[in-house]
Amino acid sequence: MTTVRIRVPSTVKQGELFEIRTLIQHPMESGQRVDDNGRPVPRKILRRFVCTYNGVEVIAADWHPAVASNPYLAFFARAGESGSIEFAWTDDDGTLTRETATIQVT
Amino acid sequence: MILFRLSHGLVAALVLLTTGVAQGDDRRPPRSGLEFVAPGLRQLQEDEFANPGMLWVMRGNQLWREPAGAANKSCADCHGKEAPENAGAAAGYPRFDAARGRPVNLESRINLCRTEEMRAPPLAYESEPLLALTAYFRHAARSQSMVADDSGAMTAVVARGRQVFEQRRGAFDLACRHCHELNVGKSLREERISEGQSNGFPTYRVSWQTLVSLHRRFQACDTAVSAEPLALGHDDYVALEAYLARRGTGLAIETPAVRR
Amino acid sequence: MSRRRPPWGAALAAGVAALSVGALAETFDVREPSLAPYRIEGTGIARPLTGRAGDPARGRAIARARTGGHCILCHAMPIPEEPAHGDTGPDLAGVGDRLSGAEIRLRIVNPKYVLAESMMPAYYRIEGLHRVAAGRPLLGAEDVEDLVAYLATLKGR
Ligand code: HEC
Ligand code: HEC
Ligand code: HEC
Repeated sequence: MTTVRIRVPSTVKQGELFEIRTLIQHPMESGQRVDDNGRPVPRKILRRFVCTYNGVEVIAADWHPAVASNPYLAFFARAGESGSIEFAWTDDDGTLTRETATIQVT
Repeated sequence: MILFRLSHGLVAALVLLTTGVAQGDDRRPPRSGLEFVAPGLRQLQEDEFANPGMLWVMRGNQLWREPAGAANKSCADCHGKEAPENAGAAAGYPRFDAARGRPVNLESRINLCRTEEMRAPPLAYESEPLLALTAYFRHAARSQSMVADDSGAMTAVVARGRQVFEQRRGAFDLACRHCHELNVGKSLREERISEGQSNGFPTYRVSWQTLVSLHRRFQACDTAVSAEPLALGHDDYVALEAYLARRGTGLAIETPAVRR
Repeated sequence: MSRRRPPWGAALAAGVAALSVGALAETFDVREPSLAPYRIEGTGIARPLTGRAGDPARGRAIARARTGGHCILCHAMPIPEEPAHGDTGPDLAGVGDRLSGAEIRLRIVNPKYVLAESMMPAYYRIEGLHRVAAGRPLLGAEDVEDLVAYLATLKGR
């Protein structure tokens, strides 16, 4: 069960820049740690994050093992048409976590 | 209750004014751990969105609505759909449970509802769902002042808690008070010592990258002085929790706080 | 015997700066099972626990190591390669001018003989502790001597 937080303004003016904020619960296990019994903890990180706005990529990020757990990301997009903003995080093992927000452009 | 607390506070203030000296540790106004953290962490705690502890609060909100157990009931069925109607109660734990004849903290109160009201298995201490529900309930009481019941049967519990707080332990032979009362504001390498208040719990620890309960923090402090930690939920940890609530009475709840 | 006013007296919180004067005046032997016996005379332990002087270079390494004495947890020391020294104890630069080797040794072995309310751990003691796992002291006799030798070199501040 992955908990995700997304913040997108519900309405924005055409042409304006608006902020998108995301927070996802994930251990971002680097693969370089050992547990209390001295056994290595296998790597498990979110490899890739992509955000699209009405199908067009706004941001894509490849994450590496040094990214802290529960990664937080904030970025800007410019308001075009009303529609949907999609978020996708891909895990090392291919697990995909998706989330969608809608936006009203006035 | 509120009136009593107010007049109690006033008396303390008067004593301070007339004598000009602190009258013992529990009369000084308590200071939140937030005052001792680095500015970056403070910012993170105060940012309702970026605060990673909010992930657990959100998860708690979901669990709040999920039916569970043989009774097929959710917390929301009995305690309010939108938010806990009795949220303020979270500011006053541990309490004495007369029926069971023992003090219960918020974690065990939630588990009592699971086992007795929902007929579901109890959640393990420090498990994600118990942390999430505890954080959710405490967050709903955010900004309210911590209160402590130290009357009746709780008097002895708080007194025991104080004893535990003042008992030297471990190979370092230190009591909680050596750090959290006698060396407040000083540093142990990169750690700045606060008063060891409980108003931000469960707390997100950046160095552990997870939410931690108050008892897990106690374990960490015990381990730091090379003492054998007690089990999570141990009577002496509940007593310590009651003493910290008494000591921190008046502090605003800040759950989920963010710490190093 | 002259008793210096401890430089840290003022820095300690009110009410804890009481010296256990009784202990200072006496000479007595301390024996704990599995530890080397030692004799406290006045404010110090004159004889090295191992019977010979320690190695200051090793002492410095023990003072900085998290798994060793980790004295910099509480003390500023002239060990510039380590960041963020603690300040719950006094700065130890110049401690070799303030205290004799015997005094430094007692401080490390069991500071409660000097200050009953001390915040500093006793590094060579097992008995009378609450909720400890290990049946051995924080440091071995040799480690203590290495530290004494190192601290004695911290002069001319
Ligand atoms: C079937 C109804 C029922 C359900 C379901 C239920 N509770 Fe309760 N809960 C109660 C009752 C009744 C009390 C009061 C018990 C008392 O005062 O002795 C209570 C008390 C509490 C308290 C203490 C409040 C106070 O005022 O001190 C908390 C916290 C709490 N519940 C949390 C939860 C959580 C979290 C859940 C879901 C995991 C839950 N409860 C599920 C009936 C329920
Ligand atoms: C050797 C010093 C030391 C001792 C002894 C010690 N602690 Fe701590 N404690 C710390 C440090 C350092 C921190 C992290 C910085 C801070 O918040 O104070 C901390 C943090 C805490 C916190 C979290 C405060 C916050 O705002 O998040 C609590 C609560 C606490 N300690 C309680 C205790 C209790 C109870 C005991 C006794 C069982 C104890 N401590 C013993 C050093 C100590
Ligand atoms: C938990 C904190 C702590 C640790 C760890 C610690 N000390 Fe101390 N030390 C103190 C305090 C506090 C004092 C001041 C007097 C007192 O409370 O005993 C002190 C005093 C001293 C003094 C006397 C200084 C003077 O100027 O009078 C010496 C010497 C000393 N420490 C050496 C050491 C050495 C060597 C180590 C590492 C093996 C060490 N300390 C580890 C807290 C600590």
